[in-house]
Amino acid sequence: MDYIDYYKILDLKKSASADEIKKAYRKFARKHHPDLNPNNEEANKKFQQINEANEVLSDPDKRKKYDKYGKDWQHADQLDAQQKQQRQYQSQGGNPFGGGGGGFEGGDFSDFFSSMFGGGGGRSNQRSPFRGQDYTSDIKLNLLDVYTTHKQTLTVNGKQVRITIPAGVENGQKIKLPGYGAPGANNGPPGDLYISFSIADHPKFKRKGNDLHIQEDLDLYTAVLGGEKIIETPSGKVKLNIPAPTQPDSTLRLKGKGFPVYKKENQFGDLYIKWQVKLPTSLTEEQKELFEKLSKL
Amino acid sequence: MENTLIPVIDFCIHHKVEITFIQSLADYGLVHTKTIEKNVFINTDDLSKLEKFLRLSQDLSINLEGIHAVSHLLDQLYKMEVEMLSLKNELNYYKQIQ
Repeated sequence: MDYIDYYKILDLKKSASADEIKKAYRKFARKHHPDLNPNNEEANKKFQQINEANEVLSDPDKRKKYDKYGKDWQHADQLDAQQKQQRQYQSQGGNPFGGGGGGFEGGDFSDFFSSMFGGGGGRSNQRSPFRGQDYTSDIKLNLLDVYTTHKQTLTVNGKQVRITIPAGVENGQKIKLPGYGAPGANNGPPGDLYISFSIADHPKFKRKGNDLHIQEDLDLYTAVLGGEKIIETPSGKVKLNIPAPTQPDSTLRLKGKGFPVYKKENQFGDLYIKWQVKLPTSLTEEQKELFEKLSKL
Repeated sequence: MENTLIPVIDFCIHHKVEITFIQSLADYGLVHTKTIEKNVFINTDDLSKLEKFLRLSQDLSINLEGIHAVSHLLDQLYKMEVEMLSLKNELNYYKQIQ
């Protein structure tokens, strides 16, 4: 474990008073608190260091040990005992580095302490765990993009997340992906990812719930005499028989040709077709005569 | 999404906080409480927000006015982040189809 200068973290002199430590802690905690810096990993780490520094420096006993032993302050009592034993051994004429006892400069002790401090136990467990921040993302899609289930890659806080967008998702709908938010601090759980869908209107198809509505032009002769017409639906072309006569603005329903029902496989709404009967813009002499004859019948 | 109510008193016991703290937050419109047969409840969807306000109060000694201001600024930050992400995703979408 690297030596961390707690005084430097809190921008304090070694002679700082308890009041100065308290003020410095509050100043830096306000600056780097995870709740005030959402989605900021750097601030999160900094806040942990500030907490750690405050925990040690605000306690006179811990501070005294830290000033004396630095990173090994938590084992100050053991180190004191070792030093005492070493002094006794030296006064008896023995070699402190030769036998099984070992001194402070020996490699065994360094490794021992590193393993004690490096495992994330001890101090980190004393701090309360923080749940990671929730992330949110907004996806803009076209209406026909959500006619079928598909996958899409999102960039959330610099990371690529591949998600499945189920067919039939509605405009404004939110979905939650648990655990895809920011990682927690101090063994806290990760946050969640909330995705909201913004679905653009389609120039032709208007969606109302799971039903689709369209307007189709119908020429005068087909409207009066009946016939056939091919129309486009999201699932492909459909040939329709037009009954004679078909009134302007009348509506035809095509069952099951609407929008897929969200998370219900093979269930679809209906497609409503409103007929816009188009009159001829100009008539030939012959047509005019025939219409006149018709009007007198 | 979950939409469960939990008694405010349970939250207060668990977090060792006075019930007046939650009432004050509700008075400021920062959290929403629901009273059913004289018992006050909060929605579980509001829990993380409530815990955040509690941390701001306990860790940083921020008073209610401060929490109100911070909450407003965080909301603005959140909206801007959402807008930025949305624009990034929209840009990626158009890059993919080009």
